[in-house]
Amino acid sequence: MRKALAVLALGLSLALAQGKITVWTHFGGPELEWLKKQAQAFERTSGTKVEVVEVPFGDIKQKFILGAPQGQAADLVVSIPHDWLGEMAQAGVLEPMGKYVTQGYLADLQDVAIDAFTFGGKLFGLPAFAESVALIYNKKYVKEAPKTWEEFLALARQHTTGSTFGFLYNIGDPYFNFGFFKAFGAENVFPKDAKGNLDPSRLLLSGEAAERALTFIRDLRFRYNLVPEGVDYGVADGAFKDGALAMIINGPWALGDYKKAKIDFGIAPFPTPPGARAPWGPFLGVQGVVVNAYSKNKTAAVNFAKTLITGKNLVSFNQAGGRIPVSKSAAKTLEKDPVVAGFSRVFALGTPMPNIPEMGKVWGPWANAINLAIQRPDSNIKKIVEDMVAEIRKGIGR
Amino acid sequence: MRRLFYLLLGGLVLYGAYWFAAHRLFDEGSYRKQVAFGSVFVPYGWAYALGFLLGLVLLLLLYSLLHTAVANRLQGRRRSPWPLFLQGLTHLFLWVLILLVYYPVVQVVAASFDPTNNLFSFRRPETGFLLLDAKVIPYLPRPSLENYAALVQGVVLYPYQVGLLLLAGLALVGVALIGLLRRLLPEEDWMDLWQGRLLLLLTLAVFALALLLSPRQFTGQGTEAKFLLWVRNTFLISGLTGLLAVLLTATAGYAFARFRHLPGRYPMLLFFIFVQMFPGFLALVAIYYLLSRLDLLNTFTGLVLAYSGGIISFGTWVYKGYLESISPSLEEAAMVDGATKWQVFTKILLPLSAPMFVFIFLLQFVGTYSEFVLANLVLTGVESWNVGVGLRSFTTGQFQTKWGIFAAASVLGSLPILFLFYGFQQYFVSGYTAGAVKE
Amino acid sequence: MRHPPGLKGFLLALALLLGLVLLAAGVGLLGFFTLEAYVALPGWTILVLALLVLVPGAVAVGRLFPWLSDWYYFLPALAFLLVFTLYPIGLTVYLAFTDYSGARNGFPDRSTETRVVGQEGARLRLEEPVKEALRCDPCVGEPVEVYAEGHRMRARILEAEGETLLLDRTPPFAAGFVAKVNAFRFVGLKNFAFILSQASQALLPVFAWNVVFAGSTVLLNALLGLVLGLVLNNRALKLRNFYRTVLIVSWALPGVITVQVWVALLNYNFGAINRLLGVLGVYPIPWLNDPDWAKVAILLVNLWLGFPYMMTATLGALSTIPDELYEAAKVDGATPWQALWGITLPLLEKPMVPILLSSFAFNFNNFYIIYLLTGGGPAQEGRLATAQATDILISWAYKTAFSAEGQSAYGLGAAISLLIFAITVAISLVNFRATGALREVR
Repeated sequence: MRKALAVLALGLSLALAQGKITVWTHFGGPELEWLKKQAQAFERTSGTKVEVVEVPFGDIKQKFILGAPQGQAADLVVSIPHDWLGEMAQAGVLEPMGKYVTQGYLADLQDVAIDAFTFGGKLFGLPAFAESVALIYNKKYVKEAPKTWEEFLALARQHTTGSTFGFLYNIGDPYFNFGFFKAFGAENVFPKDAKGNLDPSRLLLSGEAAERALTFIRDLRFRYNLVPEGVDYGVADGAFKDGALAMIINGPWALGDYKKAKIDFGIAPFPTPPGARAPWGPFLGVQGVVVNAYSKNKTAAVNFAKTLITGKNLVSFNQAGGRIPVSKSAAKTLEKDPVVAGFSRVFALGTPMPNIPEMGKVWGPWANAINLAIQRPDSNIKKIVEDMVAEIRKGIGR
Repeated sequence: MRRLFYLLLGGLVLYGAYWFAAHRLFDEGSYRKQVAFGSVFVPYGWAYALGFLLGLVLLLLLYSLLHTAVANRLQGRRRSPWPLFLQGLTHLFLWVLILLVYYPVVQVVAASFDPTNNLFSFRRPETGFLLLDAKVIPYLPRPSLENYAALVQGVVLYPYQVGLLLLAGLALVGVALIGLLRRLLPEEDWMDLWQGRLLLLLTLAVFALALLLSPRQFTGQGTEAKFLLWVRNTFLISGLTGLLAVLLTATAGYAFARFRHLPGRYPMLLFFIFVQMFPGFLALVAIYYLLSRLDLLNTFTGLVLAYSGGIISFGTWVYKGYLESISPSLEEAAMVDGATKWQVFTKILLPLSAPMFVFIFLLQFVGTYSEFVLANLVLTGVESWNVGVGLRSFTTGQFQTKWGIFAAASVLGSLPILFLFYGFQQYFVSGYTAGAVKE
Repeated sequence: MRHPPGLKGFLLALALLLGLVLLAAGVGLLGFFTLEAYVALPGWTILVLALLVLVPGAVAVGRLFPWLSDWYYFLPALAFLLVFTLYPIGLTVYLAFTDYSGARNGFPDRSTETRVVGQEGARLRLEEPVKEALRCDPCVGEPVEVYAEGHRMRARILEAEGETLLLDRTPPFAAGFVAKVNAFRFVGLKNFAFILSQASQALLPVFAWNVVFAGSTVLLNALLGLVLGLVLNNRALKLRNFYRTVLIVSWALPGVITVQVWVALLNYNFGAINRLLGVLGVYPIPWLNDPDWAKVAILLVNLWLGFPYMMTATLGALSTIPDELYEAAKVDGATPWQALWGITLPLLEKPMVPILLSSFAFNFNNFYIIYLLTGGGPAQEGRLATAQATDILISWAYKTAFSAEGQSAYGLGAAISLLIFAITVAISLVNFRATGALREVR
């Protein structure tokens, strides 16, 4: 009898839940395969067709904000980094998730991840995996991770020869550089107010902290002669894959390629830069799944999101691409994994990226300032910082 | 007086260039005396190169002196050796230029056959030959088609599509053969006729193929395996845009050229000219809303319509200029015989205008072939991209640099346009110059 | 019936045509909305319906006013221009006077979504104090959206006190949530004022470089084109057709692709160009990393792209010079050098000037080469992040409105587009004046 009822219920739910949801994703390779498999499984159990559309990472935010109110965006995005959250929520395109998930469901997710996807006191997405940059070293050149700046510098210099590099990274990108700003005293981009919310009216990336951090970054190029001109992400990453680079600052997304290139690598925090006040600590980013507020099939979209973010599925996701899940149970299963373990230590030092919309006004001028500082050995750091602060202020004020 | 003014202006420009070079380009901050990692540095290499060139010039001089001397002796004439030497110098100059112009092309073609991504690798080849080791001449230790294979991986063709492809290939070979024959044999009527027919066949076969291919036939993993699908999409989009351009501009161009009696023709013409000066693609948001209202986002029709706005003015202008260069006497005679304007237009002018229509079509086709700003706005998802958006994704993908694949895709993606350009060179040259002179 | 003459006739014809198009559009829209109530239709039905009205309408009006039939030849082009060019332009002009942006897009801010716990007509009681929940102060006049499953309604706040708020309209359904709307406003000339207030950081240097860029490009391309044209026009030169065909390759390849290839070739470390220079004993040049070198790189790449066109144009212009002139000069004992300065160059001026001017106008808005080669970069001291060393006006506008640095400031971007439009029109007017193109048409 029970069985018959269950079958009936299943049939009914299949008949009711007809329909289709569209998913935008920036995943590629094995991770895309993983998503497509999940989608097929969901189709079988719920009867809702799931269409997976590949959209480049850089296009997702703008397309979603423009398209969602017109009914032209996906029902679900897998996945967005949490620093877009405030901007997208404010534009009104994200569905608050509070009414769809229970405390029990959330209990399996790490607090820092939930915080990352909470804006204005509301949960706007389901966090899936965390990432940050760390010092990744090739064990062929570096037996043990350098603990101090002196060790690091000695190692980096030792391996900077005609045919190999000691240390390279994407030097022009603020995301890769935040660790240095933190070390020189900028704990975050914005300070927290009394209630614990970020206060965009004040900027920590200014004054002495920013000047010293920029000076240090400039020194990496012109004083220590480590990161030459023309080095961007592609160059540094390519050199590490080639086995021609001893140490790089990079994140978990790159590790799949390194494994494929048979590089034996280790993960460690960057040592404290000389004269810094605090230890180096990267931006902690969380990526998660969000649902379109204008979706015609919200329930199905939310259900699919929930099936993606479970301990079990996140473990299989980790096996597909090596990302580091924010589910507590998945983390426990993967405890022994050297990558997960290595990055967990780095995460502990990190600062979550701000998720308020004002952050969008910071990236451009910030990147501009870093690129200016490293352009010439005699760049006027004081003026660069002043200009950056003025432009950010003006942007936020508008 | 005028000459003095030009001289002064030229001097000023030259001095400005010199100042810029000395103080901005070669100052210590910009030009650092530091050898790039992994590159080969030959001190005073330029001196060797210059010496080599000078040697060539001397050889030329020697040759022209000897040749003229011998010829003069044999034929008993007195000719100066200098014209020959000058001619030789001209050839040398042109060949150096060709070398420079083709250098990027050669590098990319080489990179497309190199699965190891050598151009973008730190490993230095050790062959003992300086130019190879410096990778100035592309180093291809094991050339392979791997990059191309990645582009066509998982593409399933049905037998009749293979047939179409073969047909197109045969037509292409035929066109090329006739083109070769034209160079070798005296011009004959059948050549023109058959070249035209074969070109038509080729075009039809290619467009039929584009229409008959479906996204489901591209089963390969990875974004790059969709490359041929992008080419197919582009053929549809750009082909339709070209056709639409011809349709929309023909009647308007005719009216502008022939209805001189219409009051307000001039302000209308001004409107056509000035409206195209608005930087069209900056109206992206408006176009987005319009297409979204019409439910045409993410469709090729929508993109074609979005492109159509930008083509009308120029096409009309060019076609008007063309018609004005044709004497209206034939039409007037037909009118006297009682033909209507429409009959005159369709029966007399349209057949005459084929070359101009080909030009307008080609201009549109080539212009939208690798466009990516509007296309990226309108089209969402890898399967509906055009070549422009797809190639852009290879170079800007969040954290990826697939140069080998990019090179292969560039080569393949350029071929259709290269073929069109050389196949229809005379249309381009005449149309462009006609349009530009009139603009 | 004859065409009514003069301005009156023109206006009448225009009114009839526009009336037709507008009627068709109106019927299309109305018909669509009526039909939509019964069946789900795709939006392009509007176009189909409009066409169904336009064609018979045109025939009918043509019967009434036979003289109008001449104007029908303009109709297809005109209709398309109206819908797909003029309408977007109009909307852009409108946006230029608003503060429309990604964050002010006219849709509700879901982070202010607050549950409605009590409702009495237009008076709603919220779960939390209004000021905190909707993050507004004072809240009076703020637009909000009230919604529940399946319903939504826009309203304005009339009063807000504690947890209650009074709307100017009564929701016709049981309100579930309230959220503040990110309304965009008409701001008058504020966008233009903003551009001018930052003129020294963006507008002026960008405009200066834009002019220098377009001017030098034309100059360099024309010089090389001229030299090659003169060389290849020499009938005595062997293989000249071969050279002609071979040298236009960079024109025949799609520019969007080749410019991206150049980015790879100009890479500081790996680029083939720097490798070549290394062998020649020149230290690596920061082609794309130094504000000044990037300008040089752009000019060189544009030379590579553009000289074949100039070469072809020169050859075309040279072919119009009759041979008799040279023969006469030869008889008079002129040297080739004198013939060049006395005959060729002066006679080239007339056909070449319009080509040079139109090339200047084209390069003035040559977005693709800038955007693809350097992206406007590299950074330059004292500039905005959206207006860097090699940005020209159009790439600045694009980055302001559509890229990450600009944060979707669509209104500001639209204002810059208007400036570009004005400048382009001005250049073209000079162009027309110089060439007399319009006089000839008239």
